[in-house]
Amino acid sequence: MDNTDLTPDAPPEGAPAAADGYRVKLEVFEGPLDLLLFLIRKKKIDIHDIPIAVITREYLDYLNCKVNINLDREAEFLFMAALLIYIKSQFLLPREQPLTEEEDPRKPLVDRLLDYQKIRAASVLLKEKEDEQLHVWKRTSLPLLPAPVEEGLDLIEVSLFDLAESFFAILKKREFDHHRLLKGKDISLEDKMKEIIALLREKTFIDFLEYLESQESMEEALVGFFCLLELIKSHLVIAVQERLFHSIKVWLRKDAPRMKTP
Amino acid sequence: MREHLKEIVEALIFISVEPLTPAKIKSVLPDVTEDEVKQAVDELQASFEGADHGIHIAATAGGYQLATKPDYDPQVRRLLQIERKSRLSRAALETLSIVAYHQPVTQAEVNALRSVADSSFTLHTLLQKKLIKISGRKKAPGSPLLYKTSEDFLIYFGLNDLSELPSQEEIARILEQENNAET
Repeated sequence: MDNTDLTPDAPPEGAPAAADGYRVKLEVFEGPLDLLLFLIRKKKIDIHDIPIAVITREYLDYLNCKVNINLDREAEFLFMAALLIYIKSQFLLPREQPLTEEEDPRKPLVDRLLDYQKIRAASVLLKEKEDEQLHVWKRTSLPLLPAPVEEGLDLIEVSLFDLAESFFAILKKREFDHHRLLKGKDISLEDKMKEIIALLREKTFIDFLEYLESQESMEEALVGFFCLLELIKSHLVIAVQERLFHSIKVWLRKDAPRMKTP
Repeated sequence: MREHLKEIVEALIFISVEPLTPAKIKSVLPDVTEDEVKQAVDELQASFEGADHGIHIAATAGGYQLATKPDYDPQVRRLLQIERKSRLSRAALETLSIVAYHQPVTQAEVNALRSVADSSFTLHTLLQKKLIKISGRKKAPGSPLLYKTSEDFLIYFGLNDLSELPSQEEIARILEQENNAET
């Protein structure tokens, strides 16, 4: 049996942007079904009538010639290999009555393959649409000009997820330099909120990340984060981003209901 | 038809950064009927399709938006100094198709359909690109998050609404082509 064309030939089209920084994506097949489908096609086999032994052999050959090892991904591929062998074993067992079509052990696998094939086809069509749009420019696809500094008008208001994400980034960062002992200081939500409002009155805006990072302890940063969420919710402040991937700034709302200064 | 309606609509679409919906147009022009707005847009679109325009009016995400014609892509890119737009990876496209056709879906459902153990990385990337959004939680054990395609998804693929997604027939045709190519 020749397995020369089983070696990974080219990286998948549209290799992910560098920002992904995820090695795994350089593999040729997106999951075990993808590989299985490829083998079935290569052997010109009817998808409803897979000769399991043949396919399993090819499948294992592919696994053997893979160089990069990523445990999670290998596990998926190995699971599929095990499933194929299990199906074969089902065929080998002597039975009193021949299996009906419904009982065919291949059926669940075939169903999944058919579903997956549909998704693949749909993604091919989406890709065509993407290609069409690549040559079309709209104002939404424009890189934004440097944002105005004085007014918050042209800024993008950020969602809760943006805020949460930034916050978790800080948490991650803090994990490494968190050797100090926590002080037993009590911070009340109300005090913190007043502090933030006062700070905003003084500086017009604060940088969301900088502010949280400047907090003394994790606990304080956490309280600060909740305060900001609470203030945004009650429409006292607004969180905006000058451009995508830029820092998030918090402004006092002009039309905000008055709040007592401490 | 109202005087200068076509010109007004053109001005409104020109100044909108996001796709301008007929309802938005109507909110500015209270005494114009929806049909009149539609007719004005149709006429505008027809006049822009002519050879003497470098832009046209694209219907995306349920609204209208000015867009450059594909023929002038090289020049536009030169002006913007952009090599080319980045594309989505295959994993991202597959995951997007699943979300688009099965929405709202949970991560576990996406995993099962792609038969991979973990789609969280891809879903996260799509969330960041704002092509999908979280639409709530499923009433199931663990209340997993549900994902849906966003408005940016429609804009990205130049679709007017979800009904413009490739139909089952188109998908079947692609499959047939692929099978024929091999047998």
